[in-house]
Amino acid sequence: MVTSLSVLLGILWMAGFGWAVQDYYVEHSDGGLDNKVKSPVKNIEGQELTIVALGDSLTRGTGDETGKGYVGLVTQEVKKRIGQEVKVHNLGINGQTSRELRQQVKQKEVRRQLAAADTILLTIGGNDLFRGGQTLLDYNAGTVSQLQSQFTRNLSSIFADIRKANDKATIFYLGLYNPFIELEDGKQTSQVVREWNRQSEETSAAFNGIVFVPTFDIFQTSVNDYLYTDRFHPNKQGYRLIAERVAPLIKWEEKQE
Amino acid sequence: MANLIQNEMMKLLARKRLLVIGIIIAVLVLLFTYAQYKQVEEQREKLGTTDWRAALQQQIIDIQNRLGSSRMSDDWREQLQITLKQQQYYLDHNINPTEPGAPSFMRMFVENSSDLFIPLLVMIIASDLVSSEHSLGSIKLLLTRPVKRWKILLSKYITLLLAISMIIAMVGLLSYILSGIVFGYKGMNAPIITGFTISEGNLDTSEVRLVEQWKFLLMDFGLVCFVAVVVGTLAFMLSVLIRSTAAGMGVMLAALISGAILSNMVSSWESAKYLFMVNLKLTNYLNGVAPPIEGMTLFSSLSVLLFWWAAALVVSFVIFTKEDVY
Repeated sequence: MVTSLSVLLGILWMAGFGWAVQDYYVEHSDGGLDNKVKSPVKNIEGQELTIVALGDSLTRGTGDETGKGYVGLVTQEVKKRIGQEVKVHNLGINGQTSRELRQQVKQKEVRRQLAAADTILLTIGGNDLFRGGQTLLDYNAGTVSQLQSQFTRNLSSIFADIRKANDKATIFYLGLYNPFIELEDGKQTSQVVREWNRQSEETSAAFNGIVFVPTFDIFQTSVNDYLYTDRFHPNKQGYRLIAERVAPLIKWEEKQE
Repeated sequence: MANLIQNEMMKLLARKRLLVIGIIIAVLVLLFTYAQYKQVEEQREKLGTTDWRAALQQQIIDIQNRLGSSRMSDDWREQLQITLKQQQYYLDHNINPTEPGAPSFMRMFVENSSDLFIPLLVMIIASDLVSSEHSLGSIKLLLTRPVKRWKILLSKYITLLLAISMIIAMVGLLSYILSGIVFGYKGMNAPIITGFTISEGNLDTSEVRLVEQWKFLLMDFGLVCFVAVVVGTLAFMLSVLIRSTAAGMGVMLAALISGAILSNMVSSWESAKYLFMVNLKLTNYLNGVAPPIEGMTLFSSLSVLLFWWAAALVVSFVIFTKEDVY
């Protein structure tokens, strides 16, 4: 009994093995499968507040040892205030520049998540401007203005794409701070950052429902207390201060169906 | 011959080895089911949604963040990049790579156990098939019968093959039934993407196609069974060569474990690809996971395994027919 059963099973496994090898090595002419998949992508629905966070390491929360970052803290705060669940999609990527984000917001799934968002948080530009400190090492006004104009173009495209996916959600766009304010050239870099922020704010004003949230002042007086040991990212306290600024701005009324 | 095999089968069943193996599998499956369940639960809590697209997007973002880190070996970076492209491909084509349900769990379980767990189970049976006759002294009774020695060994070997197919079936059946209690039994027809090929660290999607999950499972089982047979044959050879079961098992165990370790670190030692133990993860070729050493293909792995298999078989038969028994 057992013997014949295992003989049968053995034959089955051998067939599977033969099939696997054959399937692996036989040419398959019909390569693409774009036309074969037909499961509809439903829009995300839900009663709860949905936050989508886009951007760079600040969105990711780099430097915060609790791993929350300002996005986590804002979520916590809002959750407490409205007393219900909050859905968060944190799409921040360390080191992301505006050019990369411009590609990211074109992705299908990202667009779908954006469409379902009630609030969009955005940090971008730090890597464009500072380029890991390189900009400051060989400072040149010409380079900076070139970086700036590139960034402005990318930013407009990003905002346009977000608005195309979702024309209702409020976008909170966080300005840059100057992590190098207490270094030798602090005055000069501050001026560059201020100008950068001014232009970014102007760019965002061309679209509806974008709130530019400044962070420059937070880190202005005692920058070293609020920076992580890499002297570039905020630490836990720094993120808390940012979050305290953003959280009260998020409005939420029960969605009426 | 049929009587000899029946006799061996009877001995095997009397020793209740298969039952023990069944219990081991059941316990492990329950463990993994619980772990998987916890993971799903945690993800739901973290994202506030059960939407697999959001979860997959989050995984992609996580990989991108890890790629940003500078402290990472090139091999690992390459592997991550391949995974990243694959996941993006799934997402772009709107296919859930881990369709929830018992079949997906079964696939995951079989694929992950193909290089260590299943060979270990096979070893339990294979490594004392001959040596226990020595230690029990029953070898003399067996050899004094008017039957050729090679026939006796062949009947033992065939019994081993039958036992292997039973073990594979048990793994499949138990993982399906037990995990289905938690995840449900749906998903046999879910589409799976196969045909990813990797050339020089890049993911090639030109050959990609969809396969139904049950077909994919059958292929997986076929490959896993082949691996089990090769490992079983090697353990069988050791059982002929070494009279102490424990020593034979120890050698085999060391080889298997070193294979698991080697796979993670041999990429610069190219000739390691001729060792059988780095070639055990055949299912990776179907999934498009980068092989441990560059240049390894399904064909090369199969040839290496076939060579080891044939060598082990020849050695066992030659030794067994020649050796003196006292």
